[in-house]
Amino acid sequence: MAPAALEVRGVTVRFAGLVALDDVSFTVTPGSVHAVIGPNGAGKSTCFNVLSGLYRPAAGTVRLGDAELTRLAPHRIAALGVARTFQNIVTTQGTVADNLMLGRHALSRAGFAASALRLPRAVREQRAHLARAREIAGLVGLAPHFDSPVALLSYGDRKRVELARALCLEPRVLLLDEPVAGMNAAERARMTEVVREVRAELGLSVVLVEHDMGLVMRLADEVTVLDFGRAIAHGTPDEVRRDPEVLRAYLGTTTEDAA
Amino acid sequence: MSDRLSRLLGRGGLLLPLLLLCALPFYLDAFWLRIGLFSMAAAIGAIGLGLLSGSAGQLSLGHAFFLAVGAYGYVWLAGEPGPGLPPSLAALLAVLLAGAAGGLFSPVAGRVKGIYLGVATLALVFLGHHVLLTADSVTGGFNGRSVPPLELGGFTFAESDPELTLLGVPFGAEERLWYLGLVLFSVTWFTARGLLRGRPGRALVALRDSETAASVMGVHVARYRSAAFVVSSMYAGLAGVLLALSFRRVVPDYFSLALSVDYLAMIVIGGLGSVAGATAGAVFVTALPLLMTRYADQLPLVATPGSGGGSIGPTEASRYLYGAAIVVILLYAPDGLHGLARRTRARLRRRPPAAGPPPPSSPTTTAHPARAKEHTP
Repeated sequence: MAPAALEVRGVTVRFAGLVALDDVSFTVTPGSVHAVIGPNGAGKSTCFNVLSGLYRPAAGTVRLGDAELTRLAPHRIAALGVARTFQNIVTTQGTVADNLMLGRHALSRAGFAASALRLPRAVREQRAHLARAREIAGLVGLAPHFDSPVALLSYGDRKRVELARALCLEPRVLLLDEPVAGMNAAERARMTEVVREVRAELGLSVVLVEHDMGLVMRLADEVTVLDFGRAIAHGTPDEVRRDPEVLRAYLGTTTEDAA
Repeated sequence: MSDRLSRLLGRGGLLLPLLLLCALPFYLDAFWLRIGLFSMAAAIGAIGLGLLSGSAGQLSLGHAFFLAVGAYGYVWLAGEPGPGLPPSLAALLAVLLAGAAGGLFSPVAGRVKGIYLGVATLALVFLGHHVLLTADSVTGGFNGRSVPPLELGGFTFAESDPELTLLGVPFGAEERLWYLGLVLFSVTWFTARGLLRGRPGRALVALRDSETAASVMGVHVARYRSAAFVVSSMYAGLAGVLLALSFRRVVPDYFSLALSVDYLAMIVIGGLGSVAGATAGAVFVTALPLLMTRYADQLPLVATPGSGGGSIGPTEASRYLYGAAIVVILLYAPDGLHGLARRTRARLRRRPPAAGPPPPSSPTTTAHPARAKEHTP
C-alpha cells in the first residue's frame, strides 16, 4: 500500500472528568519515525489507544491518508494497515509461528468452513502466509525460535515476537509502545537496530512511545512532547532537547543548570 | 526425507488406532460396543465444547441444551408426529438446527463473557428442560419419544433390514452404529483439528488470551465469539443425534444441567484446548460409570445394584471416583490428560535409550518425534 500521512487533529479524550488528552495534534510524515514522549501519565498510551481504535476520542479526528480512523473498530483499523505493540507484552499461547500467523489474520481469508474441511485454497493460503511469517521472523532475528513456544522465550525475545507480529500485518503505520522497556543494554541496542532495519526495508511510518531518550534521539526524525495531555512541543530531537517547556515538564524546573 | 518419514509415522500414529477401532465390533459384545458408542458421541460433543470453552475461553453451561436440540430435532424431523423426513436428511437438519439455536443465542454470546456467559447459558438449560417437558406434541413430554433408526440408501442402522452377518459375526444395531459413530467422530476430529490449526483457531485462542490484542490484530471480536458458539452448537447437535440413535429413546431428564457439567468435566480432565484431550476426557467420563456398574460386585466397598443396605451403590461410587479424579488431575496435571501425555512423551524422549528402566519399544520412540511436532493451541 502506498505510504500515507497519519494526521492527528485536535484529539481530546476524557475519562470521567479527567482530561487524558487535550486537543492534541501532530502529523506523522510517511516513512518517518515519530516519537511521542512525555513524563508518566502524560497521555502517551491513551494516544496510542485512540490511534488503534481502542478508545473513542470525545473530539478530534485521526486520518490515515483518505481514511478516517476515529469511528472505526480496532479490527477495521488493523485492516487499513495500522499495527501496534503493547507496553506490557501481550502474546497468545502457542509458538512464535502461531503468534505471527495471528498477525496475518487481516490479510488472509480462510473462514470456519474452509479451515475445517482443509480446502486446498485454505491450505495454500496458510502455507503462503507461513512462509512470509518466517521471513519476517528472520528480519527481526527470531528465525531460530520460529517453532518454539513463546512462553519459553526470554523477555527480549518476547518483545520481538510482538514487533514481528505487528509487522506481519504488513502495516503502513507501526505503533510501538515502549519497545525497549525493561530490556538490558545489549537487548536495547539490538532492538534499536531491528527497528531501524525494518523501517528501511519495509518503508513504513513508525510512531514510537518511549522513555529511553537515547533510543528516541537516535531513531526519531520528529518528536512530539506530551505533558498532562497537552502537546507542549514539536520538532526534531535536537530542537526538543533544548526546548525550555520540555525541560520544565521533565525536571520540574526552569533553571538552565538542570540541562 | 526424514521429515517425510516422520510425517508418515505421524499419520500411522492415527491410522493404527483407527484400524483397531474398525476391528473391534468383531471381538466385543454389545455392552462394550455401547460404551464405545456413547464415548464417541460424548467425544464429538466434548470436542465442540472444547472449541468454545477451551480454545475461545467462553464458559458454557448450556451444552446440554444444544445436545437436546440435536437429539430431539432428529427425532421430531424423522418421526411421527413430525414431518417424517428421510432420517439421513433429518440428521443433517438437526445439526443445522442446533447451529441455528447457537446462532440465535449469539447476540448474547457476542457481548457477555466469562462467568456471566456461564450464567446466561445456564438459563438455556432450564428453558430447554421446561420446553421438553411441556411441548408434548413435539417432544413426547416426560416419557420422551422413541428414536427412528437412521437409514442410509436402504441400509438401516438397526437390528435387521437388511440382515447382515460379516465373518460369522451377526451385525446388530450396536455393530452398525459403531461404524456410524466412528465415521462421525473421525469427521469431527478432522474438522476440529483443521479449525484449530487454521486461521479461525488462532483467532479464537487470541480472543481467549487477550481480546484487545486480538482486535488490534484484525480479529472481529463479536463475530468470532458468536461463530465459536455456532460451531460448538453444531458439534453438540451432531453428538445429540448420535446419542439419540444409541439410546433409541430420548427423555428430557437426560438433558439436565448435570450433563452440561459432565461435558465441562470432560474437557477439563482431558486438557483445555486440545482435541485429543477432549476425546480422552469424554471416554473417561462416559465409560467410568458404566464400567463400575458392570463390575460392581468385584469392587471392594461397592454394593451390587439393588442390594440396598448401607453400602455405596455403583453409580454413587463412580461419581465419587469421578470427583476424585477431577481433583487429582487439577492438582497434579492442571493441563489435563493431554498435558500429562505430552510431558510423559517429552520425558521419554529426553532419556537416552540405554539408561534407566526398560525403555519403550523402539517403534514408539521413533514415532514420537513426529507426534511432538504437532502442537495443539
